[in-house]
Amino acid sequence: MRAETLKGHLDFLLLAILADEPTHGYRIIEELKRRSAGAFELPEGTVYPALHRLEESGLLASSWASGSGRRRRVYRLTPRGRRGLAGARHEWRGFTKAVEAVVA
Amino acid sequence: MSERYLRELRAELGAVGIRGSRRRRILAETADHLHESGEAARFGEPKLIAALFADELATNGARRAAISSFLVLAAAGIVYTVLFGLINSWPDFTSAKLLPLAIGAAFTMLVAPQVAFAAGLLAVAGAWRLRSETTAPAAEIRVLRRRSAVALGSGAAALAAMAVYAYEYSSGLPGWWQTTAFASVGAALVPVGVAAFALGRNTRVRPQAAGLAGDLFDDLAPVVDRIPLRLRGRPWRFCLLVAAGVAAVALIGGGPDEGPRNAVFEFLAVCAAFAGLGRFLGLRG
Repeated sequence: MRAETLKGHLDFLLLAILADEPTHGYRIIEELKRRSAGAFELPEGTVYPALHRLEESGLLASSWASGSGRRRRVYRLTPRGRRGLAGARHEWRGFTKAVEAVVA
Repeated sequence: MSERYLRELRAELGAVGIRGSRRRRILAETADHLHESGEAARFGEPKLIAALFADELATNGARRAAISSFLVLAAAGIVYTVLFGLINSWPDFTSAKLLPLAIGAAFTMLVAPQVAFAAGLLAVAGAWRLRSETTAPAAEIRVLRRRSAVALGSGAAALAAMAVYAYEYSSGLPGWWQTTAFASVGAALVPVGVAAFALGRNTRVRPQAAGLAGDLFDDLAPVVDRIPLRLRGRPWRFCLLVAAGVAAVALIGGGPDEGPRNAVFEFLAVCAAFAGLGRFLGLRG
């Protein structure tokens, strides 16, 4: 999938992955690849600016945690992020349903 | 390999103005990521990653700065209006301690709030237009930052001028009003300073995205497109329309004695501000 196509939906995808559990950047990217069966592959570093921006917008929060002998930044959804995700899911389902009805 | 990558990323982040704790955090997260993946190539070119950080942080920060500037200035505007309203009788113009300074303060008290309001409103309009953009062109962010800076600077100047006025005319103004003015101005300047500091921090980040800035008519499209005049692409026509509107308000508000004089002053002031700041604030090409 083209990176530009994915870019428009990246925030939604990141929020959806973090809805399950708080986790760090590398795990988020791996999960993105796993759930999309490798379709969502983009330069891994491009996910971090989005995570920082979502945190600045109050949709995510993060803190340092120690794991495997290293410090790592763990991201989690805020209540505002949960509300944003619910709204985005609703919008997305409506959109895909409408597109499906047109192109099927 | 990853050490070299981190060195390059550090330099690239510095080149786009990302330093200090933000850079340390990015490098720590990148180091952790590279330790897990073991492949720096998959992370992306350091220059690309740094540019993306700069674009996203600058866009988000400039938008937030515009909105917080407007809110802070709205609160300052209330303080300012209340202080104005509390003056029952204006002191004799010539009773100032230092007349040129008093004239400057009085002029600033009249003009600066209007510039702050207009620039703040334009900053919010620009931020609203870019509300769903994750990365905006650098030119667009530059305009947004300028509008916020002019709004905050003019707001601070208006407040400071009020304090100078209170001091200059201490013999002709009630003591309680002066004390209230000094205290209120001091309190209102604190959030203005905080907003200016946040804007200054954001300004250090240099976005890289190419593209043109939108113009006044893009920002005010919901309003401009409803006016049955051909305004798009004609900024001066728009300026004259706004100046006429402001002059009409001044004419009605000033009554038969002061109205005509105030209207002429306001009309000329709007045109002069448009001529002086229009290009800087992205109002005309």
